[in-house]
Amino acid sequence: MIDGNDNISLSRRTLILSGAGIGIFGILSTRLYQLQVLRSEDYTALSENNRFNYNIIVPSRGRILDRSGNVLALNRQDYRVELIAEQVTDINLTLDKIAEVVVLSDPTRERIKKDVKKHAKFVPVLVEDHLSWEAFSALNIRAPEIPGVVPKVGEGRSYPYNGIFCHVLGEVGKAKPVDIENDKDPLLRQPTFRIGQSGVEKGAEPRLRGKAGRLKVEVNAVGRIVREWPEANNRSKAGEDVYLTIDAPLQEHAAEQFGEDSGGTVVIDVHTGEVRTLLSMPYYDGNRMVSGISREELALMNSDPKTPFNNKAVRGVYPPASTFKMTVMLAALETGQVNPKERVICTGHTKVGNKKFHCWRRRGHGPVDLMQSLQYSCDVYYYEMAHRIGIDTVHDVAIRLGLGQSYDLGIQTRASGLIPNREWKQKNRRDGWRLGDSLNAFIGQGYVLSTPLQLAVMTARLANGKKAIRPHVIIDENIPEFADMNFDPAHLDIVRESMRQVCMVPGGTAYRDFPLGPSGVDMAGKTGTGQVTGISASERATGVIRNQDKEWRFRDHSIFVGYAPFEAPRFAVGTIVEHGGSGSGRAADISRSILQKSLELDGLIVPRPVDEPAGGTL
Amino acid sequence: MNLWSFFWQKIYEINWLLPALIYVLGFIGVAMIYAATDGVWHHGAQQHLIRLILAGGLMLIVALIDIRFWYHLAYPIYAGALALLAGVHYFGVVKNGSRRWLDLGITDIQPSEIMKLAIVLALARYYHDLDRDRVSHVFGLLGALVLIAMPAQFILQQPDLGTTLLLTMTALAMVFLAGINWRVIVAGITTAAVAVPLFVRFGLQEYQRKRIMTFFDPSIDPTGAGYHITQSKIALGSGGVSGKGFMQGTQRQLEYVPENRTDFIFTVIGEEFGLVGGLITMLLYMMLIGICIWMALQCRHKFSQLLILGLTSTFALYVFINLAMVMGLAPVVGVPLPLISYGGTVILTVMTGFGLMLSAHLYMQSELPRGGR
Repeated sequence: MIDGNDNISLSRRTLILSGAGIGIFGILSTRLYQLQVLRSEDYTALSENNRFNYNIIVPSRGRILDRSGNVLALNRQDYRVELIAEQVTDINLTLDKIAEVVVLSDPTRERIKKDVKKHAKFVPVLVEDHLSWEAFSALNIRAPEIPGVVPKVGEGRSYPYNGIFCHVLGEVGKAKPVDIENDKDPLLRQPTFRIGQSGVEKGAEPRLRGKAGRLKVEVNAVGRIVREWPEANNRSKAGEDVYLTIDAPLQEHAAEQFGEDSGGTVVIDVHTGEVRTLLSMPYYDGNRMVSGISREELALMNSDPKTPFNNKAVRGVYPPASTFKMTVMLAALETGQVNPKERVICTGHTKVGNKKFHCWRRRGHGPVDLMQSLQYSCDVYYYEMAHRIGIDTVHDVAIRLGLGQSYDLGIQTRASGLIPNREWKQKNRRDGWRLGDSLNAFIGQGYVLSTPLQLAVMTARLANGKKAIRPHVIIDENIPEFADMNFDPAHLDIVRESMRQVCMVPGGTAYRDFPLGPSGVDMAGKTGTGQVTGISASERATGVIRNQDKEWRFRDHSIFVGYAPFEAPRFAVGTIVEHGGSGSGRAADISRSILQKSLELDGLIVPRPVDEPAGGTL
Repeated sequence: MNLWSFFWQKIYEINWLLPALIYVLGFIGVAMIYAATDGVWHHGAQQHLIRLILAGGLMLIVALIDIRFWYHLAYPIYAGALALLAGVHYFGVVKNGSRRWLDLGITDIQPSEIMKLAIVLALARYYHDLDRDRVSHVFGLLGALVLIAMPAQFILQQPDLGTTLLLTMTALAMVFLAGINWRVIVAGITTAAVAVPLFVRFGLQEYQRKRIMTFFDPSIDPTGAGYHITQSKIALGSGGVSGKGFMQGTQRQLEYVPENRTDFIFTVIGEEFGLVGGLITMLLYMMLIGICIWMALQCRHKFSQLLILGLTSTFALYVFINLAMVMGLAPVVGVPLPLISYGGTVILTVMTGFGLMLSAHLYMQSELPRGGR
């Protein structure tokens, strides 16, 4: 039991503590009043000024390499200078000071001022990039005297091989408004970020880009970073390296063969569809595109008749000319409308109504059988076929061989060319198909159009004889099962043997005093001469029909398709030399040399000793 | 009288004003956690509600058990808690740099939480049994000192400064209430004035010392340890008189105030409901504490009185330290705002404590062994 005194004492002491408690509550209330009422304005201002920002860390872009690891596109250190507007008092004065070291053109100055206006005051604005080491170090020394100027080392895209891969690789550039609209990745809004604009750079963008890192930073009223919040899971992730099926040494070799000529060539593995070479000539230097090219220079390149920006290997559409004859031949064999032994007499021309259709050999080939028709490339034989089989049959075979359709190589460029049929003409020309149309089409002229890529695909499909291979340039571990083309092997043997005779047997259009072909193995092929302008009757009369006498842009296109080795096909090539004259000339030589090199590189044949003449110098 | 009707009778006699106030504060907690987590119900608010309900059941059970049972168990509970603390010291699980948890296989427990209740039980029993004359006697003082110092040093070494302070201050309040001589109090305060600076210098961990230093001058390190204080002051200050409105706080939206659903929950109240909301919350706490004190004064036994007052002190200290910390009047020591802050342990401790208080009040007619005079 508690006695009275004790209880009073406890009550009293409880009261003391309660009083203390009330006192503490009083202090706390006063403090709350002080914070929330007396100093509320200060804190309200602070609450608005104190903000978190997420600074985006731009990841390293993946490299692009060829099949054996040669680097085609990489990132190299890029020296640049940036400007932080909030530290600058007079922008013109600052730019003048920078201009003492780095040349700043007037448009550049305008751009900088515009960028400064567009961004928040604390966001660094690019003044100039791709600085030389000298300029960069000079700026580094001066930077402390020029407030707001920040020399920085960043990463820039670089393309070795000075441009021969430009059409495959494409290039990177600043994200366009439409990109930003469609792609919500915050990287795109980073001033230093570059996005793939074309080619593999664009096609493989998701793999190359990597993942943005985020750095949570706390910024004060002026945007200065007061604190960084490193979060381990927010590191940036570098982009993947992308390997191409391209063989860099082969492409280099091909480019050498073209020299100054304009055109395109594609080399395909006949079994897998891997594109070993995809070259369009002339090329341009992708590095110049990335680092900025002057308007004048760009205009000059745009007006170049050799159209360096056009990817002729993929988008260049030309009449396939006589290289189309294998298609017609297969179609004729399939329909059974021709006996291979049967001979057609070539007199140099055929008449349809009162219109004369000429053979390329004006005096004619005499009696020609099926295989000879290809070997000699006799046009009259195919005019005869036009009487026997319809365009729709040829159309069907052409499609099965891969012509007349576009391929997604993953380089953002495609063209489908054109294989006409009745339906097409009715729809597009509002006219029925005429015999004359067939005569033109059967020798690969008229409406028929194809690209070097399609020609290479066609040749590869003929060479492997079964698989409807589809071309690709980005290495893919799992090559899809290709559909069966369903051609009679016996028919294909006839076509291929004819193609061999074109190159290896005297009389063949590609055979001159010696067989065309890589050392030690047979090759098969077909020449083509794509007419750019018809030969007018007056020209025929005056005799001005020789190609080399014409103005360059009116000369014929030189076309060649081929594959090697004949016995065990490995690579197929399709080449067009713009205005290069006869297909038996430039295109055939280039193609042979490329096939030779491709087999050498794959160890299938031994390189020819240098001093031994490479089968002539034609 | 069968057992059921006995319990119904007791349930009827419970001071329901206390649970009512507890739940008013608890529901404020649910709402504020909901706001602090940007209105995501399952990021804390839901769990908080469930915990309040479950802990309420526990409180009821504890309340219905006769106070004599708790009286007899006071020392065993204390001994058990002390053993667990020793266990933590030697086998504890380290979380966030502190060794506070004991892994029991099924679940982790925090013995320092049990000790918060056990020390009050033990001291209440100690002073109940001790003659009043001997409270200020050397041996009387020494007994209390041993009871306090043993758990305090274990908890300090974990290291958990907040809990140590809470425990020690509660115990000192009880010693004061037990009727300690004023001369001893003056002597104690004098000793403390000398000892505390020495303790700060040598007895504290580096981070703890830094927290205290930045408390005195947050501008030393505005982005480091002073960050919490500065940010919570900004959150409160920007709330103004009437606040920005429920779910309208910008500081917490920007995740500015760290731990804003736990220790810094009051900043959400202050930012969104302003001075008015803050004062109402504080008023509710005052009422709750007032009811407890009133209950204590109604009791006849010293054990019951000291038990209720001791537990009330713990609760009040929780509130005071947390609010002072949030308002930048005390260092950041990691003490939650009881009933409102998110966190299971503190709810369990506080509700068990309220259960004990209700029990003491409910069974005030029970005859306890005669204590000291």
